[in-house]
Amino acid sequence: MGPLSREAWTQRLGAFRASPSAFLAGAEGEDLGHDLLSDLRSEKLSEQTKVSLLTLSLEYSDKLWPDAPAAEAAATSLLDTLILLPSKPSALRRLLLLAATTVLVSGGALGPTSGASCRLLPLLLGLASGRDMGRSFGSASEQRHLQATACECLGELERCKPGLLACSLATLRSLLGQTGPIQPVSLLLALVLHNTLVVPSRAAAGAGLQGLLVARVSSVGNCSWDWTGVEGQDAHLQPQAPSWPTAEEKHGFPLLEPSPEEARELKAAVAQLLDTSYLLTPVAQAQLLWLLGWALRGLRGQPPVLFKPQLVRLLGTAQLTLLHSVLALKAAFGEALFTAQDEALLLRRLTLVAQHPALPSPTHLFYLQCLLRFPENCPLGPEGEEAAPLLLGPQLCQGLMPSLLHDPMVLLARLHLLCLVCADTEEEEKDQVQSPQGYLQELMAGLQQRAALDGGPQALATLCFQASYLIARCLPGQPIVRTSLIHGLAQLYRARPSLAPHFVDLLDQVSPELREPLRAVLQQEVVARPGKNESLCWHLQMLAKVAEEDARGATLSFLQAAAVHCTDWGLQQALLRVCRALLRTGVGDGLADLLQVLARQLEDADGRDHARLYYILFSHLSSPKLGVALGPSPAAPALASSLVAENQGFASTLMVQETPAPIRLHVGPQKAKGPLLSLPLQVEAVEEPVYCLELRFRVEGQLYDPLEAVHIPCLCPGRPASLLYLPLRPRRPAPARLHVQALYTTPAGLTCHAHLPPLSVNFADLFLPFPQLPKGSEVCFFDDLWNSCLPKGVESRMWCPLGPQGLETLVSQHLEPFVVVAQPPTTYLIAIRLPPDSMLLLRLQAAQVDGVPVALRTDNWAVLPLVGDYLRGLAAC
Amino acid sequence: MLYLLTLLRYPTVEKRAKIFNGVSYVPVPEDGPFLKALLFHLRLSGDDKDFVERRDSCSHTSKSPIYGLSVGGEELWPVIAFLRNDMIYASVPLVEQALSPRPSVVSVSGVSQGLELLFGIQDFLYSSSQKSDTDLNTKLSQLPDLLLQACPLGTLLDTNLQNSLSSTNFSSVTQPHKQPAWKVGAYKGKPQISISITEKVKCMQYGKQDAADTWQVVGTVACKCDLEGIMPSVTISLNLPTNGSPLQDIIVHPCVTSLDSAILTASSLDTMDDSAFSGPYKFPFSPPLESFSLCHYTSPVPVPPILGSYHMKEEEVQLKITVNLKLHESVKNNFEICEAHIPFYNRGPITHLEYKVSFGQLEVYREKSLLVWIIGQKFPKSMEISLSGTLTFGAKGHNKQPFDHICIGNTAHVKHLVQCLAHRYLLNMHVRTYVRRYVYLMITKYLNVNVQQITKTLKFDSHEDPPYNKDLGVPIEKRKLILGNELDHINKRK
Repeated sequence: MGPLSREAWTQRLGAFRASPSAFLAGAEGEDLGHDLLSDLRSEKLSEQTKVSLLTLSLEYSDKLWPDAPAAEAAATSLLDTLILLPSKPSALRRLLLLAATTVLVSGGALGPTSGASCRLLPLLLGLASGRDMGRSFGSASEQRHLQATACECLGELERCKPGLLACSLATLRSLLGQTGPIQPVSLLLALVLHNTLVVPSRAAAGAGLQGLLVARVSSVGNCSWDWTGVEGQDAHLQPQAPSWPTAEEKHGFPLLEPSPEEARELKAAVAQLLDTSYLLTPVAQAQLLWLLGWALRGLRGQPPVLFKPQLVRLLGTAQLTLLHSVLALKAAFGEALFTAQDEALLLRRLTLVAQHPALPSPTHLFYLQCLLRFPENCPLGPEGEEAAPLLLGPQLCQGLMPSLLHDPMVLLARLHLLCLVCADTEEEEKDQVQSPQGYLQELMAGLQQRAALDGGPQALATLCFQASYLIARCLPGQPIVRTSLIHGLAQLYRARPSLAPHFVDLLDQVSPELREPLRAVLQQEVVARPGKNESLCWHLQMLAKVAEEDARGATLSFLQAAAVHCTDWGLQQALLRVCRALLRTGVGDGLADLLQVLARQLEDADGRDHARLYYILFSHLSSPKLGVALGPSPAAPALASSLVAENQGFASTLMVQETPAPIRLHVGPQKAKGPLLSLPLQVEAVEEPVYCLELRFRVEGQLYDPLEAVHIPCLCPGRPASLLYLPLRPRRPAPARLHVQALYTTPAGLTCHAHLPPLSVNFADLFLPFPQLPKGSEVCFFDDLWNSCLPKGVESRMWCPLGPQGLETLVSQHLEPFVVVAQPPTTYLIAIRLPPDSMLLLRLQAAQVDGVPVALRTDNWAVLPLVGDYLRGLAAC
Repeated sequence: MLYLLTLLRYPTVEKRAKIFNGVSYVPVPEDGPFLKALLFHLRLSGDDKDFVERRDSCSHTSKSPIYGLSVGGEELWPVIAFLRNDMIYASVPLVEQALSPRPSVVSVSGVSQGLELLFGIQDFLYSSSQKSDTDLNTKLSQLPDLLLQACPLGTLLDTNLQNSLSSTNFSSVTQPHKQPAWKVGAYKGKPQISISITEKVKCMQYGKQDAADTWQVVGTVACKCDLEGIMPSVTISLNLPTNGSPLQDIIVHPCVTSLDSAILTASSLDTMDDSAFSGPYKFPFSPPLESFSLCHYTSPVPVPPILGSYHMKEEEVQLKITVNLKLHESVKNNFEICEAHIPFYNRGPITHLEYKVSFGQLEVYREKSLLVWIIGQKFPKSMEISLSGTLTFGAKGHNKQPFDHICIGNTAHVKHLVQCLAHRYLLNMHVRTYVRRYVYLMITKYLNVNVQQITKTLKFDSHEDPPYNKDLGVPIEKRKLILGNELDHINKRK
């Protein structure tokens, strides 16, 4: 495709900017990056269009060339375009340099193996050091202009790969003394110095700080950048300006101890930078101070006095970045740079600029934040906590008092400061008219009056509640402030009940110290106004939040009176929500009557049903269960029926829910056999206690009679497993699988059921012994049985393999209870009852080396294969 | 409403943010969702009537123009944003650490840089040279290129965008070494310095015994120095007239090289006594090329220049107002413009007006709910003038009429809250006067680069007349007397 026209590009770029992700996902998205790069070389497009193409690639390089190979290719193409530019002056050179840098960094292609990186770096370094780069980079004057850009690009590379330019320190330092734009070189030098000190890379460590600072310029060609220390270590990215309170713990600046020579060189370099800092724009000066301040912080033997001359100059301005950097120096060095007097002066200046009428309000707000987070020399409280600085006396605070005339944000910020001052002041000063507490109460009264204005904007009410919240949060321990706040809020509610949503929100947010008394007062406020009035819906909304057991009588009579006026569906729902809240708190008497009345009287059928439902729940559920059932507030009622919504709320609690198995169940060891067949089971709880456990069993294939459920009152985890016997009534002597279901109650009162893994009843589990025989009659008895099996039964001979253990052990382990006659080691006569009405007789003869011949008879031929399996399996047990 | 649609993105900074913020990193969303979230947070979209917890919850106590915007379920923080001249200015600075727990705003260096950039943009768009909307649109279209110049790769280099504009034009000029970065190019021509001092009086008059009236002068010294050389050194010193009240709360331009500690500490918060520093106030500096505010100060004045009273009474649908103004005899009765602005907030457009003025004419801006009383160049001989009138208002429209969170109310409130009324109506009585202070200018000497020369010339400074005295651009005596705080708005509209 040939190059697009200017209009086509404008349209395309517009579409892309409107929604980059949608554009890239579309049909044209794939080609955009490619077209853009190729059209940059087109001779048909004007320079202006190319500028807009480059601007786009600067802003969206991460979207256009997201991965390293694409970024590498794009950067290579951009660099080629740069070389190919005709030698006349062009605005594209600067942009191409910026774009190549951006593309390499954002695509993650920057590295020693990247060809584009290895082309870009020497180019930038050459331009930055003012060498003549040849005609393809324009005239000498344009190259000088590009010098600044090259420094900016190098700075960005160094920021993304700290330590990359450590070896160029000396070059940069010598540049600062020569011709060339002072600001870009200063900033770059400060940045590299900072990174060298904060992240001493391996190469830097080898060369030594002094070596880096004073290396001969001639050696520049050999070692201009250093990948060794920076390769693939994005995680080691170092903040240039770490946030101060946590800087120490988190980043753990290594305390470097430079040698005296190194310290001297370093000092000279820093002094050189600071001396010319006046020539930088204010924002660049501020960056320089942050960089140098945090770089020198970790060094021993580097007194920060170097900064002192700058501070004197900076304190007079109100320029945000400059004063902010002074504050950063304060945070970095504390007392070493700021004596108590200096600290007081800085605070004084901050107080001044936080309210200077010539400054805009965002500036005021920022400085107020600075005051709240002032890095004090000797802070009293824990570090990082908002507090009014100690030296900020009442005199200074006077100018920062909030007033009703301030705009909301300023008011809140100043109020915060006032609260912190109040928190430091003892309450006993309350009798003084000018005490901060007194002022605070007056202010709140004003705010509440304003919020009470009917029809006033929402923002005013919001402001009043924000202020209340702030006071409640900052001054929890001051009962007088709290009392007056509660009183004021109660008055506000009386004047404007439509603020109920705000009150509900406030109650949700504040701590119990304020919530409890405020709730009680508001409940009183509401119930004191029964009968018909236009604020009924607000009162009901309020009551649903604040109704509790206290003042129950008044609440109920309020509701009874209100019920008459609840004519529309919305009001009825509000009324029912209050009932619901009361049900949850367990208010008993009177509520049942009310619900019954509602179930009869309410005009809307939905409301009546709802009331009846509550009544039924109330009369059938115990109060803890009721609390759980009505737990979370129901979803907003659908227009059709509020019952449906209610159902979503508690259906889950009243219905049995399926859960993962709460218990472990397995077959226990066979023990003494009773006359009836039973299966020993071991049960233990897994995680939480299980109450009222009912275990239901189902036999697969109707081999046994239906099994009865087993009940266990309580199971607690951690206790030894309890043993229980499950009676089995086989219809045929056959092994079976039992399906088990557990039904139980959780500690929260929910009823749940769970399917447990099935249990296996083995053939041996069905064995019962014959009753104990009188001594001497055993052989006779056995022979009778033996003979009775035929002719309807079967006889068989089997080989029972013996393991390493002998016959004796095998019998005692598995067949002991069933032995009728034992003549060890030669003969065992064994008789086994197989419920319901079969038997199995075994004659074990003299054992041979690896097995024993078994003669068996049974009256039920169907068990023969089972017996075979059983006997063969015995040896393996 | 006009929104600032220019959004610049810096992918390399975004990449660093991703690494620094770690798991708490939230990418800057695309323009559409970003703007939507911003408008919601600034209460500029949607209905303000109902309580919306996400916005109105009492726990959202924003105390600075730095917000957390919820975008797609995540919170983007910090977003610096404020509204000025119907424009939203916003930037998202880099935080070089994890965002959870959230670091304090003050400890993030990018916050002040971001704010300063936004102020820079604002200054550029609304600088004094701007005349019309076309100018504004031209400037808006220049903005992306300028930002690329002033803030390449996301690092802020200069907030003076006008400088960046010049620097693109100056591209062929060779800059000598030691050229300050804040001074693009050099002046060639007749040396001259113009200084103008503007003082505004902010005044609150209650007209009641129990509430003391307050007023304060806020002054600005603006300079334009056309001097040759790279770093000319200038000292301006302000002397108070006899019995003049001292200057306080002095803040200076960053180009001022040093300040007396007495100037640094003079504050209006201190109790005034005779020991207060009373000058001379010396400001040594090396000026930038453009016009700049050398310093701002406040000062107490003995009397407000105009005494006023304002009464308002709401009767059913009508609003009755009376305004009386009296010029203080110490003020020279000669003005360039003298107007009183009487805005009506939180109401609909003015539908009907009957009025009587004892002097001057009244202009009515119905849609803006504003009356402008044009008094002219002089007060009458009696020095007292009055206005009385009856107004009715239409239904409140959408955003056309001025909103104010203090001046609200209707009849009921007038009866109810007398205290509030006092605030409410007297707030509009901010009296701003532009009067000239008595100023003695002393230019010590204009020099070339060299440090040694400075010391030399300082020596003979007291003996010689300032060399450029006769060329001084003496400020025009410009007097404006404005009542109300809507002037800038109206002028622009006209």
